[in-house]
Amino acid sequence: MSRPPRASGYFRTSYAQDLALVGTRFERTSLGVFILALLAFPFIASAFQLDLACQVFLACVGALSLMLLTGYAGQISLGHAGLMAAGAFTVGILFRETNAPFWITLPAAALVGALLGIIFGLPSLRLRGLYLAVSTLALHFVVIYIGGEYESRRGFSTGIVIDPPTLGGVAISDGRVWYFILLAAAAATLLLCVNLLRARSGRAWRAIRAHETVAEALGISIAGYKLLAFVISSAITAVAGALFAYYRGFVSVEAFSLFLTIQYLAMVIIGGMGSLLGALLGAAFVTIFPYIIETGLLALPGAQRYASLLFAVNYAGFGLVMILFLIFEPLGLVGIWHRIQSYFLLWPFKHRSASGSRR
Amino acid sequence: MQLIVNIIVLAAIYALLACGYVLIYRVSRVLNMAHGEIAMLGAYLLYTTASLFVANPFTAIAVAVVMSLTVGVLVYVLLMRKMTGEMVLAAILTTIAIGILLRGLIVLIWSAAQQHPLQALHFSNPSLEVFGGARISACAALMVVMTAVVYGGLFAFLRFGRWGVRMRAAGQNPLLAAQRGVNLNAIYALAWALSSLSGSIAGMLIALDSGLDQTMVVIGLKAFAPALVGGLDSLVGALVGSLIVAAAEVLAIHYIDPLLSDVVPFLVLIGMLIVRPWGLFGTREELDRV
Amino acid sequence: MISALLAIEKLEVVYQRAITAVQGITLAVEAGQIVALLGTNGAGKSTTLRAVSGFLGLDDARVTEGTISFKGVRIENRPPHENTRRGIVLVPERDKVFPNLTVAENLIAPVPRGTSLAEHRRREALVYQFFPRLGELKTRIGGLLSGGERQMLALASALVCRPELLLVDELSLGLAPVVVEDLLRRLIEIRRELGITILIVEQSATVALEIADYGYVMENGRIVLDGSAERLRSHPDIQEFYLGSRSGERRNYRDVKQYRRSRRWYG
Repeated sequence: MSRPPRASGYFRTSYAQDLALVGTRFERTSLGVFILALLAFPFIASAFQLDLACQVFLACVGALSLMLLTGYAGQISLGHAGLMAAGAFTVGILFRETNAPFWITLPAAALVGALLGIIFGLPSLRLRGLYLAVSTLALHFVVIYIGGEYESRRGFSTGIVIDPPTLGGVAISDGRVWYFILLAAAAATLLLCVNLLRARSGRAWRAIRAHETVAEALGISIAGYKLLAFVISSAITAVAGALFAYYRGFVSVEAFSLFLTIQYLAMVIIGGMGSLLGALLGAAFVTIFPYIIETGLLALPGAQRYASLLFAVNYAGFGLVMILFLIFEPLGLVGIWHRIQSYFLLWPFKHRSASGSRR
Repeated sequence: MQLIVNIIVLAAIYALLACGYVLIYRVSRVLNMAHGEIAMLGAYLLYTTASLFVANPFTAIAVAVVMSLTVGVLVYVLLMRKMTGEMVLAAILTTIAIGILLRGLIVLIWSAAQQHPLQALHFSNPSLEVFGGARISACAALMVVMTAVVYGGLFAFLRFGRWGVRMRAAGQNPLLAAQRGVNLNAIYALAWALSSLSGSIAGMLIALDSGLDQTMVVIGLKAFAPALVGGLDSLVGALVGSLIVAAAEVLAIHYIDPLLSDVVPFLVLIGMLIVRPWGLFGTREELDRV
Repeated sequence: MISALLAIEKLEVVYQRAITAVQGITLAVEAGQIVALLGTNGAGKSTTLRAVSGFLGLDDARVTEGTISFKGVRIENRPPHENTRRGIVLVPERDKVFPNLTVAENLIAPVPRGTSLAEHRRREALVYQFFPRLGELKTRIGGLLSGGERQMLALASALVCRPELLLVDELSLGLAPVVVEDLLRRLIEIRRELGITILIVEQSATVALEIADYGYVMENGRIVLDGSAERLRSHPDIQEFYLGSRSGERRNYRDVKQYRRSRRWYG
């Protein structure tokens, strides 16, 4: 997978070093600085920027789970929006029917996600990745149907309103508090994914993605690990949907269209497949992209005329960016980032020596 | 009786769209997720040519058809060709991206409002009565006829035409085909051209029958189910699959719940995946090679 | 020397940017010759053939150094269909027919260079003359043919392409000796009637040296020996390592392991 280029003189000489999350001192300090910046942000940012950051964190959770499935285990899922809807609706339904608190609804959402993962994963995972795409497409439509049915049968034609979650009797609705909660959620997901990847499951997924037949010959249960990836990914995605429901205070089927799925796929592609950092970069990029387009459009003369076209420009621009990345930079933003790093590390040389081309 | 007519009409829609998926998959193992958008583009092109060639509706249709063919070829030559040799995953993701791009472009060029190519062409769409008191609109009847024509043409081409044989050969063993002088890029471009042609015909007819707006994309996605149910590399399968899925959908809407219309095709799909993943007529080996 | 039909100079072929399968070989094939490329498994013979025929993006193989010239024109790293148009046709080792097409369709599928439909039909008729058995099997599905029939079909479909240079990869693999004899005779007939040049890759030196005029021996991606067919047949090393040990005397296993002298090949 994508390994960052390192300056010479950096060697890993023990297993502990190999497993470590941060290696060099430079990495440690830069990580520290970054964390401090993240913690300080809410105190200097405007409400709009805060909301944007919260959206990015929410997106990170979903992007990480998709990266696990697609970028590492190599399976395409078209059901991401459906799974988020499932999580959101679990929260909504439980809240409306039983007034359950968040520490019941969130695990319930995870459970629902995992269940859907098993139901829709089993038939297609003994087949190759193509068929999971199809199966998850079905998942999407089924979940949307069920959600829609619930909405119309129970009279929530415009959507279900949810009270903000309460902790010790205090309702969580302040932007800053949400920032930290969602930051914690994103960080927790990141840690979970990193650990999954460092462990046996991660190696199995990499093996499956590289060469299925060989992986099977090595004794790795292909179907089992694929299913595991899908179930874990689905559970995390459902939790993301649940968080989304609480953050917005509102659940409705319209929010979960196929375009949402495609946005998450774009996060994985643009960020760079096979890299958790890519998931984060991609999540940030895709979440901020529409706002950039909007600002750009409104800066043009005759802005009023363009306002109605905003959505379409978004779509088209989105597709274009995705295509550009797929064709020209399949390693995504992470690939570009590594290229920049290499440039500085190798200067004044231009290329690394070609590895292993001659005996 | 009306139910049977409805099933046949819906099956025709699905069949016309499904063969597009089959053509491309058979030749290159790629799922063209942009098929619905390409079909929609064809319909919008018809709308424009209808407004341009006001006096000559048939010229309008002909021009729109030619333009749709070109779109298919261009999509392959400019974009998909760069993906040959890459993982199928990447190719499918590219088609998804192309679909999004097309959707955005369509709204930018034509706006998201519903259009009526029928009126632009100054055609009318009377409701005809067929046996048993059932009614069918003229456009829907035309759709059934066109499905027969398109499928007949495709079967004849693939079975008997030299380039049809070559297309089948390229699908079975691309390396050997190249070693026997077959230009694979030309074959793939041909597959994309035929796929967008049949898709656009479907799109145009649907638009003529019931107006043109963004919902056609959903129909394009639903048509995926019959393609898979019949076997992704089988034209016969697409036909049979369309009948099965259409029957299930119409009956479900009628007897159970109208809202089920979007879900039923996918339920049939899941059922088929569990029971017989390679579809009714697909080649079993297709499975292990992907 | 007279400019050869096919000239390979210091060719290097690399798989997946990591494995060098062919490490600098030089060989030439004159027009009208039958040249054999001998060697054991993994020697790089098939790779050489495929390099001449052309790689497709699917293989992740590339010619990284050296040149391949056909009639004076450089052809390395071109796609196969281009080389077929020039007159270089490969009969591959595996996947040599279209399994779900009939025999007749297998012969329709190839795109011969620069011919009209009538010429294509005439070519097909010619091919049925060389392989009458195929005429009886016209409607049989390719994948259901026996090994020998399949090899015949592979050769036939190659011939339909009007090759000037025919590349045959492992003709004898998996076939009974009788069948192989039959195919060899037909190859000689084809060379005689159509004047085609043939480059044949074989693990079985016996088979290859039966019909070849000239031969090259490859080991580990390099050419270690070359010469006319008679010279190779009588060469003691070839006799020992490829044709079976000499004259039936009982050998001490310790003595046989004395192929340390193969060092001399690299000298």
